[in-house]
Amino acid sequence: MIPGPESRAKIDAAVREYPHAPSALLAVLHLLQQERGYIAPEDQVWAAGRLGLSVAHVAGVVSFYTLFRQKPMGRHHVQFCRTLSCQLRGARDLLEHLKRRLGIREGEITTDGRFSLVTVECLGSCGTAPMMQVNDDYHESLTRERLDALLDSMK
Amino acid sequence: MTTRDYQPLLLKNLHRYDSARLSAYEQSGGYLSLARALKELTPEQVVEEVKASGLRGRGGAGFPTGLKWSFMPKGPGPKYLILNADESEPGTFKDRLLLERDPHLVLEGFLIGCYAVGCNQGFVYLRGEFVEAYRILKQAVEEARAKGYVGKNLLGSGFDCEITIYRGAGAYICGEETALLESLEGKRGHPRLKPPFPAQVGLYGKPTTVNNVETMANVPLIIERGGAWYAGIGREKNTGPKLYCLSGHVPKPGVYEFPLGIPLKELIYDHAGGMLRPEHPLKAVIPGGSSVPILRSEQCDVLMDFDSLVAAGTLLGSAGVIVMDDTVCMVDALLNLARFYAHESCGQCTPCREGTGWYVQILERLERGGGKMSDLDLLVDMSDRIQGNTICPLGDAVAMPVRSYVMAFRDEFEYHVTQKKCLTAAAVS
Amino acid sequence: MPESPTEQVTLTIDGVSVTVPKGMNLIEAAKTVGIAVPHFCYHPNLSIAGNCRICLVDIEKMPKNQIACSTRVAPGMVVRTRSEKAVKARQGVMEFLLINHPLDCPICDQAGECVLQDFSYHYGTGRSRFEGEKVHGPKGVDLGPHIVFDAERCIKCTRCIRFCDEVTHSSELGFFNRGDHAIIGTFPGRQLDNAYSGCTADICPVGALTVTEFRFKQRVWFLKRVPTVCSGCARGCNVDLGINENRIYRITPRENPEVNQTWICDEGRLSYEPFQKSERLGGAQAGPTAGPSDGAARPLAPGAAWDEAAAALGEIARKHGGEAVAAVTSGHATVEEQAALKDLMDRLGAEKIALPLHERGEDDALLIRKDKTANALGARLVGGAGARVSDLVPAIASGEIRGLVVLREDPLGEGGEVVAEAFRKLSFLLTLDWRKTRTAAISHLALPVCAYGEMDGSYLNFEGRIQLVRAGLLPFQESDPAWKPLLEIAHRLGGGEVPASAREVFRSLAARRPFLARLDTPAVGKMGVRLDVGTV
Repeated sequence: MIPGPESRAKIDAAVREYPHAPSALLAVLHLLQQERGYIAPEDQVWAAGRLGLSVAHVAGVVSFYTLFRQKPMGRHHVQFCRTLSCQLRGARDLLEHLKRRLGIREGEITTDGRFSLVTVECLGSCGTAPMMQVNDDYHESLTRERLDALLDSMK
Repeated sequence: MTTRDYQPLLLKNLHRYDSARLSAYEQSGGYLSLARALKELTPEQVVEEVKASGLRGRGGAGFPTGLKWSFMPKGPGPKYLILNADESEPGTFKDRLLLERDPHLVLEGFLIGCYAVGCNQGFVYLRGEFVEAYRILKQAVEEARAKGYVGKNLLGSGFDCEITIYRGAGAYICGEETALLESLEGKRGHPRLKPPFPAQVGLYGKPTTVNNVETMANVPLIIERGGAWYAGIGREKNTGPKLYCLSGHVPKPGVYEFPLGIPLKELIYDHAGGMLRPEHPLKAVIPGGSSVPILRSEQCDVLMDFDSLVAAGTLLGSAGVIVMDDTVCMVDALLNLARFYAHESCGQCTPCREGTGWYVQILERLERGGGKMSDLDLLVDMSDRIQGNTICPLGDAVAMPVRSYVMAFRDEFEYHVTQKKCLTAAAVS
Repeated sequence: MPESPTEQVTLTIDGVSVTVPKGMNLIEAAKTVGIAVPHFCYHPNLSIAGNCRICLVDIEKMPKNQIACSTRVAPGMVVRTRSEKAVKARQGVMEFLLINHPLDCPICDQAGECVLQDFSYHYGTGRSRFEGEKVHGPKGVDLGPHIVFDAERCIKCTRCIRFCDEVTHSSELGFFNRGDHAIIGTFPGRQLDNAYSGCTADICPVGALTVTEFRFKQRVWFLKRVPTVCSGCARGCNVDLGINENRIYRITPRENPEVNQTWICDEGRLSYEPFQKSERLGGAQAGPTAGPSDGAARPLAPGAAWDEAAAALGEIARKHGGEAVAAVTSGHATVEEQAALKDLMDRLGAEKIALPLHERGEDDALLIRKDKTANALGARLVGGAGARVSDLVPAIASGEIRGLVVLREDPLGEGGEVVAEAFRKLSFLLTLDWRKTRTAAISHLALPVCAYGEMDGSYLNFEGRIQLVRAGLLPFQESDPAWKPLLEIAHRLGGGEVPASAREVFRSLAARRPFLARLDTPAVGKMGVRLDVGTV
């Protein structure tokens, strides 16, 4: 059952950190997403109950922040930067290469569940453009070769 | 002093592989400023020192930091100081560098700030995507706690200061201070109406000040060497060292530290290696992150400080310097940024919510070759209707670039209308 | 706050000098001198959102336009609502609002009372520069039992969300997504179903939220507005009936800061429906029957009916004394009707007047009262009520009470066989009602009276506020306000001339009863008057 005991302990600790319990909502949602891989409606209902918020409020928050996903993603969730500085350093062509290699379009998941792909806005790594974030990790200064090698290494 | 001789102050520890560790930080004199502030200075004296330094906010607005701190009411709390680590302005990556490579510098400045305004629980609002920075910062806070720099009765001073790291979850708008407060209260990042201002009604309705990471990184230096010394760097009203983020068509992109006011061309040609491809000369520069008006290459003989750039019709902003050569289609570049703002608009207020989407539609049409001449005047007119009429500066942040690109590169936009393709593709190919 | 509540501030709006209490916002301040500052998201009974931006005004010495809803008056402030700067901003907002707004006016219920339509007319440029695909969204969504939602029409003013958070504290609605894909709605699978959900349609400035029961029923410009009060409970919320071609199409709340602010509960909003659905009593009918069917009833002309009633009741009183006559009055009746019944009983020397209780649920924290009658207080203060029906039944069964007058109640329908058996022993049962009840069916005489909306009169709400109910419909067939037949019967027993109007009845009552303070109906007016009714 989600959240499990370890998550609950972390959630209790997070709630204690703030003068007002609702402040812990983003932390709670991060933890729930870590456990399930995405945030399901029942997670939102649980979070609302835990923090004394309305379910409409929680759902509104989940829909606002781009890191919160309401559907499962691939094991390796590729978040490819599409903003100007990366575009200037070849991100557009690299993205096309990426899509061909994975065989999916933005917003899709490979059939084996290994990769999902989205484009995201500036990740604050413009000095090492073009770049992407896969799950939690940044992969910077990408070239076609580096990208291929990285994808090969992600099982 | 030529900039070639400049010795970094903010980035001075970064040559060490272990620069993020407390041991390394203390070895180079770290936390002595905190000790001095707690033991030898009153909070008011700290504020005065920062005022004397002339330090202006490094997040984009350039508001004098000491003055901002002085807006906080005296007397008992709770009062809050918040570190804005939500760096999301396209072209900007200096805060991330500081957080990952010298977190203690930022922490020390932040703790001194908490002392100065009377904050006993400092929040760090950290962009959700900065997971590495989160791990490093968490570790830094624990290291500092073990040494008595964080927690109760700091260094025996009687001053308590707890640090809570709050992770965002992906929203550029949460870098705007009142949207940040909403997010910290567990809500959607909708900017608040001002007045009231955060110093009166902020986090949980209490007096609050929000400061940028780089701004706080300057504070230990000011306490160590004094405000007057600090004010000797740069020029009047534009003082101190500055981190410049170079990206785009330069061979050596990255963060560069120089005194405020370095000439833009020197930054690009003497330090970042000039143009990426010598056969493609400079065409345009965004001097301060995507939200500022663009400069044509012939407008780039300008000093990189707050007032010089205002005089040149643009802004220092976040000092995200995006360099573009003549392969860049300005319509395409503007479309890229317009999509950014449309994606990041919170949706609260009419001009931004509807205007950002409309900009994208018009620019897509122009880019594809289906645009009309009247679209160009429409884009500028829309900017006039949006700027100054929204709840928060995001409206201005999209309106200013749109207006400046269309006006600075009118010929290129007109070419898209009449020839239905990019001027640059025709020129370059 | 430490400042004196009457501290005044003087400022200038569009060249007009305005003096208003400190703390007032510019929209309200401008209103005091007849200057309308357009607004969507602002509502005086909700928190300030400041998101629509249509109320932007130009204030001297301030470089940017300011929103009037959240800007408080300041001494010497100079405000221009029609400067070039303000007009340009306002036209900009109008244009932005319309770019993604669907061209639904021809099928939208809001047409004719749509703020977006009105402001386009008054403040727009009349042309659109938008050429593209509008943002699309769900339309015709059943958001709750009484609310239909159209996402494309929504202008994201958030009034509905704030209402559910701040007034009903039920928080069913949220704001989802970002930018021009932002949308309001409920948590998936949940409903907007608080007791006041219809109010979200009232405050929605456009046709994004509309009342299900009114959907596609009538164009609002055909509706005649009749100011009256709701008859659904003892609160007496002020309402307008929306009437066309002698039919109520809807009830909407009418503002009264001292009763219901700008709100009404869903049950009150739909309280006209039972009056349209029940079988009406159209004319006087006489004749006893053994069972519920009225097969043996014979119609009577009104005059003849009143003669018969007077004769029957008079005879019982003469032969067996006033104690042999009793009445059942009603909290559903108007003050005039209750007073007339009391007059008749006085003339007969009868004292036993019962008042049935109609309570359901609990009083809530907002408007709803558990007493589901509009005028129970009137029945006690003016109608002489002092007993329960259950007190009367044994006396009827024993034959002690032989004559009974029942006004707007159905003791048989409520009380079952025990009551029916007793009532069948009555020598004369007179019922005055608007519908064919079980009591009416076994009555010796049943007289038709007006239903809600067909007559003038007054109610006393639970706080002792006297408020007027107004006629907006023609009386059904031969229906009268009940005071008319009651006073006609009393007149035939020696009582005075029958007044010609409800107002006359009220006036003469007010002259006799100190707590009514000699009021006349114009003084009661549209807002009502709070009376000192002592302990009740």
